[in-house]
Amino acid sequence: MELSYHEKLTLMVLGKLKKARYEDVVKEAGIDQVAVMRALLGLQSKGLAKIHERQIKLIRITELGKEYAQKGLPERRALKFLAEREKVTLEELARVLSEDELKPIIGLLRREGWANVKKEEGKLILTITEKGREDLNKERPIDRILKILAERGEVESGEAEKFVSLKELKRRRIGEEDSRSEREVEITEAGMELVRKGLELKEEVSILTPELIKSGKWRKVEFRRYNIKAPVKVPFPGKKQPYRAFLDKIRRKLIEMGFIEMEVESLIETQFWNFDALFQPQNHPARDWTDTYQLKHPKMGHLPEKELVERVRASHEHGWKRGSRGWGYRWDPQKAMLLMPRAHATALSARQLAKGVQIPGKYFAIQRVFRPDVLDRTHLIEFNQVDGFVVGEELTFKHLLGILKRFAVEIAGAKKVKFLPDYYPFTEPSVQMSAYHEELGWVEFGGAGVFREEMTKALGVDVPVIAWGIGIDRLAMFKLGIDDIRYLFSYDLKWLREAKLVW
Amino acid sequence: MPKFEVSKDDLERLVGKSFSVEEWEDLFLYAKCELDDVWEHEGRIYFKADAKDTNRPDLWSAEGIARQVKWALGIRRGLPKYEVEKSDVTVYVDEKLRDIRPYGVYAIVEGLSLDDEALKQMINLQEKVALTFGRRRSEVAIGVFDFDKVKPPIYYRAASPEEKFIPLGFEEELTLREILEKHEKGKEYGHLIKDKPYYPLLMDSEGNVLSMPPVINSELTGRVTEDTKNVFVDITGWDLEKIMLALSVVVTALAERGGKIRSVRVVYRGFEIRTPDLSPKEFEVELDYIKGLTGIELSNEEIKGLLERMMYEVELEDGKARLKYPSFRNDLMHPRDVLEDVLIAYGYNEIEPEEPELAVQGKGSDFTDFINAIRDLMVGFGLQEVMTFNLTNREVQFTKMRIEDGEIVEIENPISMKWSALRSWIIPSLMEFLSQNTHEEYPQRLFEVGKATVINEKAETKTRSEDRLAIALAHPRVTFTEAKEILEGLMRHLGFEYEIEEVEHPSFISGRSGKILVGGREIGIIGEIHPQVLENWGMEVPVAAFEVYLRPLYRGSFL
Repeated sequence: MELSYHEKLTLMVLGKLKKARYEDVVKEAGIDQVAVMRALLGLQSKGLAKIHERQIKLIRITELGKEYAQKGLPERRALKFLAEREKVTLEELARVLSEDELKPIIGLLRREGWANVKKEEGKLILTITEKGREDLNKERPIDRILKILAERGEVESGEAEKFVSLKELKRRRIGEEDSRSEREVEITEAGMELVRKGLELKEEVSILTPELIKSGKWRKVEFRRYNIKAPVKVPFPGKKQPYRAFLDKIRRKLIEMGFIEMEVESLIETQFWNFDALFQPQNHPARDWTDTYQLKHPKMGHLPEKELVERVRASHEHGWKRGSRGWGYRWDPQKAMLLMPRAHATALSARQLAKGVQIPGKYFAIQRVFRPDVLDRTHLIEFNQVDGFVVGEELTFKHLLGILKRFAVEIAGAKKVKFLPDYYPFTEPSVQMSAYHEELGWVEFGGAGVFREEMTKALGVDVPVIAWGIGIDRLAMFKLGIDDIRYLFSYDLKWLREAKLVW
Repeated sequence: MPKFEVSKDDLERLVGKSFSVEEWEDLFLYAKCELDDVWEHEGRIYFKADAKDTNRPDLWSAEGIARQVKWALGIRRGLPKYEVEKSDVTVYVDEKLRDIRPYGVYAIVEGLSLDDEALKQMINLQEKVALTFGRRRSEVAIGVFDFDKVKPPIYYRAASPEEKFIPLGFEEELTLREILEKHEKGKEYGHLIKDKPYYPLLMDSEGNVLSMPPVINSELTGRVTEDTKNVFVDITGWDLEKIMLALSVVVTALAERGGKIRSVRVVYRGFEIRTPDLSPKEFEVELDYIKGLTGIELSNEEIKGLLERMMYEVELEDGKARLKYPSFRNDLMHPRDVLEDVLIAYGYNEIEPEEPELAVQGKGSDFTDFINAIRDLMVGFGLQEVMTFNLTNREVQFTKMRIEDGEIVEIENPISMKWSALRSWIIPSLMEFLSQNTHEEYPQRLFEVGKATVINEKAETKTRSEDRLAIALAHPRVTFTEAKEILEGLMRHLGFEYEIEEVEHPSFISGRSGKILVGGREIGIIGEIHPQVLENWGMEVPVAAFEVYLRPLYRGSFL
């Protein structure tokens, strides 16, 4: 059986005392009483000792009692006065007694047989008796118990009654009844057995120090048993930002799914890449002042190589090649040069397509994009988009649905999906997908479409390209347990410190 | 994009059949609409429709949705046909409008009996077409008038800004100029004509004003109510083809409610036309192209059947489909657009999704991997990662940092001055973060790997967004040394020798800040933040920080 140093020590004391008051055990053990109590509780739980608790009736000294103890009881003071004067009037006694004490004094003196009382000329005259003289220096039981009470403050009722009745003490308002519990400790048979076998008492240490290890002294000491359930201070470890860690996870997932990550350097785009290369006509509502930011400084950037610009222009104006009639307006290169913070991630797909792609190939990027909005619980002014494309000779609409569904299953853990017709200026056909999430219900989770040929051909790609984007912010908010979208870019250190790990 | 309300009863009256709300949810998809919301009001069920296609104004009303649903369900097939009778009404268009608002097209719809719902839809359609398709009336403005109050012929003329009429909602006559200044619609749309020498005005033969396009109708004729039987429709703009389409959309919607369409002669200088022109348009697609891209097995006949349910008249010939489609559509640019109609008629949710089998391998960007390794190292130093906004302002970037002024990438149209520039360094973002957390327990040790955007004339976008690492350490005993220790750790673990060259920088304490140099090239800055800066941010503990550019420290893929 594992016993702590204190437990062993206490048990040894108990082996000697067998049965004793707790206070006596403490005295005998010679250690802090809290340590003794902890040890006793430990011993009791191991069946080595028993703690009994009993109620004790006692008499406690009153304030008046304390006063009497100092000045003497009234009858004592009266007797002393009598002894000095032989004969006094009742009025004269008031010099040593208070008014309250005066009233019952004749009865008290008579009962003790210390004085004779006569009436002379209408006044009560007290004279000392022989007994009075004898008792002058004799301690009565009541004097004795008053002294004891004054010394100890309280006395067990049984002990006090050996002197005078409790009734008497109460009547004289020297003491009042009270009770308290007292612990008595007893060693059990099992405890005795252990003591008989002999206990080895080692020095107990709290911390294992390098000195203990080096000197080898650790062999001779006992390690204080810790309360390993005690609460500790909450630490703040270095941690990744939870939403960014969530995006890291999405990135890993997409790579696993066979996608190549596109690099994103600039946050700024020309309208050419943000809109024109995506076959968005220059008078398209989405190019409105209110829907996207524009730059004041610098205002205009450069257009890419002439040939590409020419193809984009031709696509807008008349469809350029095979089968399209274009938007039918005059394309303005000046407008295409305007600079803006990137408004959607598809701009990067256009750049990648123009740069050249593997066919077949799967691409993605997680990018910061910007929209003029008011920052509130449900709107961000800049946010991250997860977007990309799949390019392949034989791709069909059925594949488009398959790619989208796979995202819903892999990333949102959805079991069911449904598809809705949608519209993007740069894709046709276009689809929106809702995914069924166990806890969120139907959530709009992504969109996709086949890039229009007018766009891909102008960028130099002659096979179907399926563009896709997934909306991960609602999923992120759910996973991170927040209902205010601003917490994705939290400025609240407390929240960041307390946020759960993302992996 | 356009969103509007429709009543379930009204839709069902137009289709001639009743459905459950769930069924309507699916039926909406045929009309490229999403059922956004459902509610009940005074015993009627209402839907909020979200029309997806910005190029299909014919679908932006109860009439449009109902029409598409009738076809999709096969209640009707092929090309929708509308009788158009000629009226003897003529509209004369003033040549002087050429640079003001040159074109107007017109129609009469007779025999209407419009109830509350029908009126609501008519107004909604006008508004949505003018707003989204008509680019806030700049390209298409629509007026509908009580025809019984109009005395033809009608004149669309260039009028002096001093001419007068009573605009809708007013009791007294106002000059055209006053309307632009005082009338709510004048303030909203006045900018479209304000600077022109003349303003467009539509008048009848007795000199009564119908409207001042594209701003406001007259009180006299512009009020259409449940008592109105016959209406005159006016659409103005800059592109004849575009406004003709809008006219088709509006009159065929009214015809869906039993109206009889009558055409109007419009006389321009040198030519005249008759509007509306509801003759179908033509398109041709190769069936193999359609079949190839759908990924589903479809016969020629099946494709024909599907297209007939999308309001096409189809003639199959030599592997091609010759198509006629309604005048109210103008969105067929490429066979792809026809393909989408085939798929919508088939039903997206009837198609079994299939993943393509492509021999490809995923790969993350090596630079992102590099950045992530640096983030791991910073976490190892016990720093908390934060992610802050790139959007900021001059005050945060300069003033509060004790910098007089500087060049920064600025937004032309910010929503709020708080977000009016892109950050050119990250440390101010971290200061902002610290300043919002002064009540939190210290030490606070932060890092962010993010972008800072600076001007670069040579770049395509005249800017460069640099990937940088910034850290900020805040607690009562922090010093330059603690920041330098982390920099030392970073450089050692990346295997770079670096130097620090003392620099005077207003944001830092003099003698406690320096440029970070690698191979003689400046790659960042380190220092103890100046107490004035701390005071500017309302901070009472010292801060040590550094910011380094990561590209120069990147040596390519680890493997």
